[in-house]
Amino acid sequence: MPVSKKILLVDDNPFVLEMMGRALSKEGFYCMKAISATAAMEILTQERPDIILSDYHMPDIDGFAFRQSLIATPEFKDIPFMFLTSEVDNDVMLEGINLEAVDYILKDTPLPVVVSKVNNFLNTVREQHERTLKELSVAAMALNLHSVPQKLPVINGFGVDFWHKSFQNYPGGDFIDFITIDERCTFVVLGDVMGKKWGAWYFSFGFLSYIRAAVRICISEGNFSTKNILQKINAVVYHDPVVNDVLSSLSLLMIDTNKSTITYSGAGDLPLLYYNNAGESLEQVKSSGMLLGLMPNGDFDEITLKLKKGDSLYIFTDGIIDFEGGEGKKTDYNTFTQAIEPYLNKPFADFKNSVFIKEKTAAHIDDCSLIYLQKTS
Amino acid sequence: MILVTNTHKDALIAGIQVKEANLTVSDGFKNEMTALIDQDNKYIVVDFEQVIYVDSSFLGALVSALKYAIANKAEIVVAGLNKDVSGLFQLIRLDKAFKIYVSAAEAADNKAQ
Repeated sequence: MPVSKKILLVDDNPFVLEMMGRALSKEGFYCMKAISATAAMEILTQERPDIILSDYHMPDIDGFAFRQSLIATPEFKDIPFMFLTSEVDNDVMLEGINLEAVDYILKDTPLPVVVSKVNNFLNTVREQHERTLKELSVAAMALNLHSVPQKLPVINGFGVDFWHKSFQNYPGGDFIDFITIDERCTFVVLGDVMGKKWGAWYFSFGFLSYIRAAVRICISEGNFSTKNILQKINAVVYHDPVVNDVLSSLSLLMIDTNKSTITYSGAGDLPLLYYNNAGESLEQVKSSGMLLGLMPNGDFDEITLKLKKGDSLYIFTDGIIDFEGGEGKKTDYNTFTQAIEPYLNKPFADFKNSVFIKEKTAAHIDDCSLIYLQKTS
Repeated sequence: MILVTNTHKDALIAGIQVKEANLTVSDGFKNEMTALIDQDNKYIVVDFEQVIYVDSSFLGALVSALKYAIANKAEIVVAGLNKDVSGLFQLIRLDKAFKIYVSAAEAADNKAQ
C-alpha cells in the first residue's frame, strides 16, 4: 500500500505555516496550508488529508470550535487531528485531548520532534490498517469469496482471458464470472458496483449471487435470453431494500459454441469493442439497458453477434477509460480504443504486457477490468 | 459543503463545488441531495459547471439521489457537463435517466415554462 503523507496545517500565523510547511515538506509530506478554520473547511471539501495539525488560538473560530465542527461533520470526523499550540494551561490541554485529538503538541517543541510525532502516528495508523486489511482478506479467502474467477473456462472454439486490477489493491466493486452451463453454452459476466474498496466489494457478492441465480433459473426454464435474465435481475435489485440504493452496471454475454454466436445485453455498461478480423475493423457494440436497479423497466435489448475465426470482443469497466493527465483526471473511451488497436492481431498476453496496462497498474485511479473473447477456430 | 444552492425562478440550483467529483465527496453529496429533497424542493438542477471529472462512486450517489427524488415526487436534472462527463453520461445511458441542459439557467428556464 502506498504511504500517503498528506497533511493540513491550520494556523493564523503565516510565519508558523511557512516554517512548519517547509519542515514537513522536507520529510516528504504534501502540505496544505490554511490561515483560518474557515479556509481549512474549504480545503477539506476538495481534498482529504491523512492528518490535520491545527493551532488553538485563532481569531473568529478557535482550534476547539474548528475541531468540534469537524466532529459534527461525518465525512471529516475520522481524520486524525493534532493540536499544535502555545497554550500550556492543563485544563485547556485536557479539553483538547477530550475532543478526540490524537495529540497535543506545544509550539516550542523542536521541529524534528514534531515531524517525528506526526510520522510515528501515521506509521502506526498505516500498520494497523494493513493488519486489518490482511485479516479481512484472509477471512474472505477462507469463505471462498472471489469477485474474479480463479481459473479460465475452456470453451470449444473460443479463447477467453481477462485482466483485472483493483483500486489501490483493495478488493473493489468490479466482478467477473464465467458460468458454464454445458459444452455448448457459457455465460460471461462483467459488473461494476458503483463505489470503491470494501463497501463496493461486499455488494458485488450480493449482485453476483442474484446474477448466478437468475442465469440458473432462466436456464432451468429453458430461457437462454440475456435480455430476459437482465430483466429478472433488475426486477429483484429494484425492489430489494438491501441493494436498491446501490447501483451496478452489468455486461452479460452468452457464448453459443454450436452457432458460433454471442448474444449480449448490457445494463449501464460501456459499449463493447468488436474486432472484425476479415474486415480489419474495430467497432463499438452498444446496448440500450440502464443501470441495474435504476428503473423498474431497465429498457434492455439483446444483440447477437456471429463471430468468425479471428474475430474478438473486448468487454470492460470504466476504470479502463479513466486517465490521469496533466490537467487532472479525465474519462476518455477513445484513448483506450487507440491503445488496443496495435494489439488487435496479437495474443491478448501481449496487450497485458503493454505500456498501457503497465501504466494502468501504476495509476490506481479506479477498479479496472477487461475481458477478452476470441473466436479461435 | 459540496453543494452551493440558490433559487432561480421555480428551480433550486445546486452547484457542485469540487473539480473532481469522486469517492471522497460522494457520500457528502448524497447526504446534501437527500436533505434538499427532504426540504421539499421539487425541481433540483445539479450544476456540474466546475466539475472536470466524475468517477463511478459519485455517479452512484447521483443516481441514488435520483431514485430518492422519484420516490418523493421530485425531479433532478443536470447541467453544465463538460465534454468528457457528457460523453460518459451518454456511454452508460444516464442521458435516459436525467434531462441534460447546457447551463443551469437553461434548466431553470425550462422548469419555468
